[in-house]
Amino acid sequence: MHKEATIRKPLILGHKSYHDITEDVCRPIEGKAHRMWYILFTIATIIAIYGVGCILYLLGTGIGTWGLNKTINWGWDITNFVWWVGIGHAGTLISAVLLLFRQKWRMAINRSAEAMTIFAVFMAGLFPLIHMGRLWLGYWVVPIPNHFGSLWPNFNSALLWDVFAISTYLSVSVVFWYIGLIPDFATIRDRAKTPVAKKMYSILSFGWSGKAKHWNRFEEVSLVLAGLATPLVFSVHSIVSFDFATSVIPGWHSTIYPPYFVSGAVFSGFAMVITLLLVMRKAYGLEAYITKKHLEYMNIVIIVTGGIVAVAYLTEFFMGWYSGDEYEAYAYMSWGAATGRYWWAFWALIFCNMVAPAFLWIKKVRTNFTISWIIAIIINIGMWFERFDIIVLDLHHDFLPSSWIMFYPSHVDIGIFLGTIGIFFVFFLLFTRYFPVLPIAELKTIVRGSGQSYKNETAISPAYSLEQQNLAKTKPEVKLMYKGASTASPTKAKDTKSHTESTIQKDDLKKIEGIGPKIQEILNASGIITFADLASTTSDKIRKILEDANLKMHDPTTWPEQATLARDGKWEELQKWQDELNGGKEDN
Amino acid sequence: MSTKYWKGFEEKHETPEFIKTLNKEFSQEVSVEDFLANEDNLRESSTPRRDFLKFLGFSVAAATIAACEAPVNKAIPYVNKPIDVTPGEATWYASAYYDGNTFASIIVKTREGRPIYIKSNRDFGFTNGGGNAQVIASVLSLYNEARLQFAYKDGQGIATQVADDEIFNNLQAIKRNKGKVVFISQTIASPSTAKAIKLLEQSITNGSSETETEVSETEPAVSGATFEHIQIDAISYAGIREANKATFGKRIIPDYDFYKADTIVSFGADFMSTWLMASQYAGQYAKRRNPDEKMNKHYQFESNMSITGANADVRFMIKPSQEAGILAAIAKELGASTPGVSASDTVDSEDIKRIADDLKKGNGLVVSGSNNVAIQIIVNIINQKIGAYNTTINLNNPLNMFMSEDKKMMDFVNGLIKGQKPDAVFFYGVNPAYTLPNGEEFGAALANAKMTVSLSPFMDETAVNCQYVIPDHHALESWNDYQPKENEYALAQPTIRPLFDTVAAQESFLVWAGQAKRGGKDSSVFYDFIKSNWKEKGFGADNFEKFWNKTVHSSTYSIEAAKASASDLDASALSNYAKSLPQEGEWEVVLYQKIAIGDGSQAGNPWLQEMPDPITKVVWDNVITMNHETMEELGYDLYIDQENGAKMGRVTVGEVTYELPVFPSPGQAKGTIGIALGYGRGKGGLKIGKAAFQTKELGGYVNDENGHPKPIGQNAFRMTQIRETIEFTAVGSVENTGKYYPIATTQIHNTLQGRNSVVRETTLDTYLTLSVDAYNPEWMHHKITEDGSHEAVPLSDFNLWESHPIENVGHRWGMSIDLNSCFGCGACMIACQAENNIPVVGKDEVRRGREMHWLRIDRYYSSDEEATVGQLKDSKNWNRKKSGVAGSSPKVVFQPMMCQHCNHAPCETVCPVSATTHSNEGLNQMTYNRCIGTRYCANNCPYKVRRFNWFNYPSYKKFGEINPAQDELGRMVLNPDVTVRTRGVMEKCSMCVQRIQETKLVAKKERRKVYDGDFKTACADACPADAIIVGDWNDPESEIRKKSDHKRAYQALAEIGTRPNVWYQTKVRNEPNPILAQIQSKKEEYLHNKH
Repeated sequence: MHKEATIRKPLILGHKSYHDITEDVCRPIEGKAHRMWYILFTIATIIAIYGVGCILYLLGTGIGTWGLNKTINWGWDITNFVWWVGIGHAGTLISAVLLLFRQKWRMAINRSAEAMTIFAVFMAGLFPLIHMGRLWLGYWVVPIPNHFGSLWPNFNSALLWDVFAISTYLSVSVVFWYIGLIPDFATIRDRAKTPVAKKMYSILSFGWSGKAKHWNRFEEVSLVLAGLATPLVFSVHSIVSFDFATSVIPGWHSTIYPPYFVSGAVFSGFAMVITLLLVMRKAYGLEAYITKKHLEYMNIVIIVTGGIVAVAYLTEFFMGWYSGDEYEAYAYMSWGAATGRYWWAFWALIFCNMVAPAFLWIKKVRTNFTISWIIAIIINIGMWFERFDIIVLDLHHDFLPSSWIMFYPSHVDIGIFLGTIGIFFVFFLLFTRYFPVLPIAELKTIVRGSGQSYKNETAISPAYSLEQQNLAKTKPEVKLMYKGASTASPTKAKDTKSHTESTIQKDDLKKIEGIGPKIQEILNASGIITFADLASTTSDKIRKILEDANLKMHDPTTWPEQATLARDGKWEELQKWQDELNGGKEDN
Repeated sequence: MSTKYWKGFEEKHETPEFIKTLNKEFSQEVSVEDFLANEDNLRESSTPRRDFLKFLGFSVAAATIAACEAPVNKAIPYVNKPIDVTPGEATWYASAYYDGNTFASIIVKTREGRPIYIKSNRDFGFTNGGGNAQVIASVLSLYNEARLQFAYKDGQGIATQVADDEIFNNLQAIKRNKGKVVFISQTIASPSTAKAIKLLEQSITNGSSETETEVSETEPAVSGATFEHIQIDAISYAGIREANKATFGKRIIPDYDFYKADTIVSFGADFMSTWLMASQYAGQYAKRRNPDEKMNKHYQFESNMSITGANADVRFMIKPSQEAGILAAIAKELGASTPGVSASDTVDSEDIKRIADDLKKGNGLVVSGSNNVAIQIIVNIINQKIGAYNTTINLNNPLNMFMSEDKKMMDFVNGLIKGQKPDAVFFYGVNPAYTLPNGEEFGAALANAKMTVSLSPFMDETAVNCQYVIPDHHALESWNDYQPKENEYALAQPTIRPLFDTVAAQESFLVWAGQAKRGGKDSSVFYDFIKSNWKEKGFGADNFEKFWNKTVHSSTYSIEAAKASASDLDASALSNYAKSLPQEGEWEVVLYQKIAIGDGSQAGNPWLQEMPDPITKVVWDNVITMNHETMEELGYDLYIDQENGAKMGRVTVGEVTYELPVFPSPGQAKGTIGIALGYGRGKGGLKIGKAAFQTKELGGYVNDENGHPKPIGQNAFRMTQIRETIEFTAVGSVENTGKYYPIATTQIHNTLQGRNSVVRETTLDTYLTLSVDAYNPEWMHHKITEDGSHEAVPLSDFNLWESHPIENVGHRWGMSIDLNSCFGCGACMIACQAENNIPVVGKDEVRRGREMHWLRIDRYYSSDEEATVGQLKDSKNWNRKKSGVAGSSPKVVFQPMMCQHCNHAPCETVCPVSATTHSNEGLNQMTYNRCIGTRYCANNCPYKVRRFNWFNYPSYKKFGEINPAQDELGRMVLNPDVTVRTRGVMEKCSMCVQRIQETKLVAKKERRKVYDGDFKTACADACPADAIIVGDWNDPESEIRKKSDHKRAYQALAEIGTRPNVWYQTKVRNEPNPILAQIQSKKEEYLHNKH
């Protein structure tokens, strides 16, 4: 097993056992949804239905129901398309690229990020289809033998490349995501109590039985798919950028686009992941899995990609000015745009994508959940504006001033955009309700290497105790989204005061024969707080903890067993046994 | 017979009976096996069992299918094919167009018996291919569903026969009672119509009246009724006639020759679009704009920016009240006296001197658009002084048009309003209730007359007040003859059988005069009348039939014109009229005609309503044009687009107050505003055509307080002033109401901001003295050579793609547009619309930037930062913001812009389904049924000429009120050679590929090559200035090849490497422009040193 340096912050906080992970992830699926979930789901559904209504109106009436005109032939449609595709970048980057780079922290976020990716690509794919107005002709772009004779699509067209790029990306992402889900579905299947759920999850899990052969193939397929998906992460948005880069329109016609678009996509993708996960973390009580460390790592990715994007903006601005080309004078990165009628769109882009993310350089900001969440939303808005600026601003003042014009969105433009957000959330909410939002199997592979309690065998870092403090602030019973599920803590809280102070009810470990106040302190500092914690810790580990604390004389061999009895409330049995023991040691 | 069976004992016992019947028919010997084994037998039997079953099965199936009712589409062949109609082939008829305001010789294209297209006649007639958008669009007015379909009496349908009897009896009664008949008509330019009217007159007056124009003064001694014939034009030119009467003693409008004129000084005369015989003058003028020959020089003084002013070499902005003083100053400089009018110093004396010097050189021509008699007299004085009456003005060959008798008409109108009661009033070709300043009162007062008869084809403002309406044919349905000038005759022939139960007005006159009987739908009454008339005139004396057929074929006949000769001028008359010069005011209102709407007679024509005004680019609206700098001072909005409407101004002239949107017009003289005539038609829910009214965003009309559809704009005729004549300038006031009004314009940005590869311009001096490097340098780009250094090489060295193999292989169609002769009239746009079935989309869609015109005319103003349009004064120091605003006295360039048919077309590479491709003849072609509507091509087009079908225009309800293809009648105008596009499809100029194909087929049938000039696009065909040349570039002798090699030729946006098949010719202005000259000579010097 990969052993992680103890100095690194643990990836799974709390004293999570394998079983705890299963419990934590399955809880939302097996429990009853909270009222809040129903409210959100209803809102999302209403918005989605309105969006679908707008789409049907558009398809029935014509593209004229949008605000486009003779000069600006793409507006919100392609803006939304590129925006959604960009958002769809994080998932596969996390699951494929970070897999190849052995970034274990991805495990906490990859499942939901991949789901987000797939739903975002669905939304993205919708726009090129409906933006033609006559949806039923969409298949003409596919190179299939057809009744038109030997009529092929135009392989020179960047739009056709898009078709291939997006469809490949979508299919690989879906497969990758689904493969990862199979063992977890099997877990849910095995736990399912109702016949319907059992049937459904047994179909979804493809007869997974957890055999070594299954695991072996699972690992191999994951690796192969990661290898396949990695280039796609970079190709998809490069190809989307070709829609613009291969044209002649000033501002579009730019060789910088592929790398710039890919970084922009990762930038926006991670922002969306943060937006969604920070809410989910709270709602489903996943604080132990999605931690400050994860947040910081994601924010660092944002800083890097955002930096690349910022450099690209400056390059675009400089090259436009330096070329002296009069047609570049109003391109989206130009003084003409900054001072023209679209000044608000220009400055929205600069603020949201360059100024606001810059605050993430401050550690306090990037480790603060609330501020990070707000910045992530700002980035989401900013990246929408980036695409809007590229498309609309570049078109609105192009070569011939006689055609210069402004774009004004219609209510259908807005309705469809909001609608896709609604549809996206309908999907995502269903996902969080019926799918394991964290990869159970994968997390179990790191709990021993990077779990907090396991790490404590060797190191007690100040940061750790900080984490613990933060963790302690969270509520022991998760009540925001789910109720009625089995509670997280093994022991019931005794008084309300302790609720606010600690997650887990402290047990009096001194009741274990052999443990005094000093040892209790040491154990508590190592994360062993309850009888349950102690029960699940091997005596070797305890010994190590003690040795590290220069207490070499103690023999903790029986402690876990004693703790098991204490945990289970078998006090009489424990008493009986302790009577037999000599200072906690079994007499030989 | 192998086995022996027996049946019954007879056989077993071989009884004799049995033996007897043994070989009979049903004996067992002829068994089935035997029959089938016998090939001969089988061959004889024609229906084998299997075939029988097949037939049976088929019959059952056929019977079943036949039982289902299928729609029956009857295609009935001609029993006797009409000579002129071959399905699928167009037939062209020469004819003539006259609407009281414009005359043009035309050719009408008909398909399967319906006229679908009108073009001006280039081969015959003095208009020489001239004509404007109204002429071309009149074919759509034929199919106007609002046309009256039968006769009316008091608003109720009536049989024409019955109406005829009643009118005839009434007239006879009037004759007996010695009553008074007033006949009000447009200028009768038709000799036969005049004769028919005369016959009507004589039938009432007993033939003894002498109703020449002078007669009204003396009471005629008649035994019958009095008959007063008043001719009135919507746009009066009576001032010129009165001035000529005063100075030369002849009440005429002379023949102007702009071709001969070397120096033209025009005072508000928009002679290229609407003034007098503009259809002739524009072509004459354009021929003199060739800088390689002797180019004319044109000074324009005007208040509104007109098409003519936009094309002038030197333009001055003046108020109408200043005109007389400036004219007097010029006269003074020339040494002529203007008694009663003193010279003013409004215009710099240097300019006056320069103008006078140019006029003195000879072949000068001074014209004025004013209808003020005094001003026209000063114009005459100047023209006399410079000897124009011997050269450019012919007094001896006067026009027979524009005979408006303003004074006579106003006397009658005022009398009627005051309560006079004429016995009968006839209206023919006029709509005075709309076109007179007090028309509404006049319309109401018509109730005073005992009998009122209108021959209007519409229930218009006048007809609705008349007792009888006997609708006239549309001009394309009837015969007519014209004598527009003293020496010019023309024939108009019908091109379609009358669509409705209408009758020729002239036939009605003859019937009411008791001279003829109705001839029904195929009546030849008036035809015979014209023919006998022409015969009487002595034409074709040797062989009249031959003469007649020849004239019908060409539609024109001219006799030699009288030579121009000067006559003595009486300048003293001026002092009599000088007191009635236009008044001065803080705000002076100038009423003008838009080239599309004109006097409003075709206000219901959606093509014309949607044609952008050449100057303002406003469609579907009547606006107040105001100087943009004044507007800024007064708090009006200058930026007008989809969401930013115009602010309404309240304009008051006398008792008339209108609220109209104020629209910026750089070049409008400060202190003046312009308002177009011809709007506000159909008030009170009149049916004059569905496109005459304001529409709502999703279809349907905007209604007024009475529930009637609201007309577009306001009727500016009510602001005309009555002095000696009806004048079109007035003193008024205008104030900002602050109200917003959405307005549709096809061009929002007005300047080029120094972009110098769109339009190229130079001065005549530079053009004649310097090399091509000065004004039309070749594009050079930098290339890195093998040793790493930079090298400037021509554009042609850069080639990202392989070229299409079109050069010198087969045809390569090209086009050249001369920016020097194009004067922006927009006839090409309407011709293109008619030819290519381009949908009308309405105000709301144009407001959203979605007009569908394949061909547009870009209009650019120069800014104060520019030496001329697109040429910065100082390319290093300039203010971008200021360059985006038109200058205070801007120069104007018109640039027709359509698909450039690029050989390296950016649109072609980006289409995912190859719906737009390059033809092997150099055309960029659209495959409509392959297009899926991604619109990528339109985005990637640098010229922004691609148009998308945002809706299903021929069926979506939003366009029900405006799109002609949405009604059964309007659909008849569609060109069957061109697909009507569905929604979701991109379209654009095809270079009239259907015409190319037809040309090639004709050549192939005739086993010959396609000759240069065989093929013309609709736009080239319609251009009155011949600015557009098309042809086969691969033909080394072709005109297009020569044009493309010309030193003036350049390609728009050439530096981006699209390699268009369209060339533009550099504009040359005959003006002093020292800054531009200096820039261009420096440029030449720089390039020479480099070479």
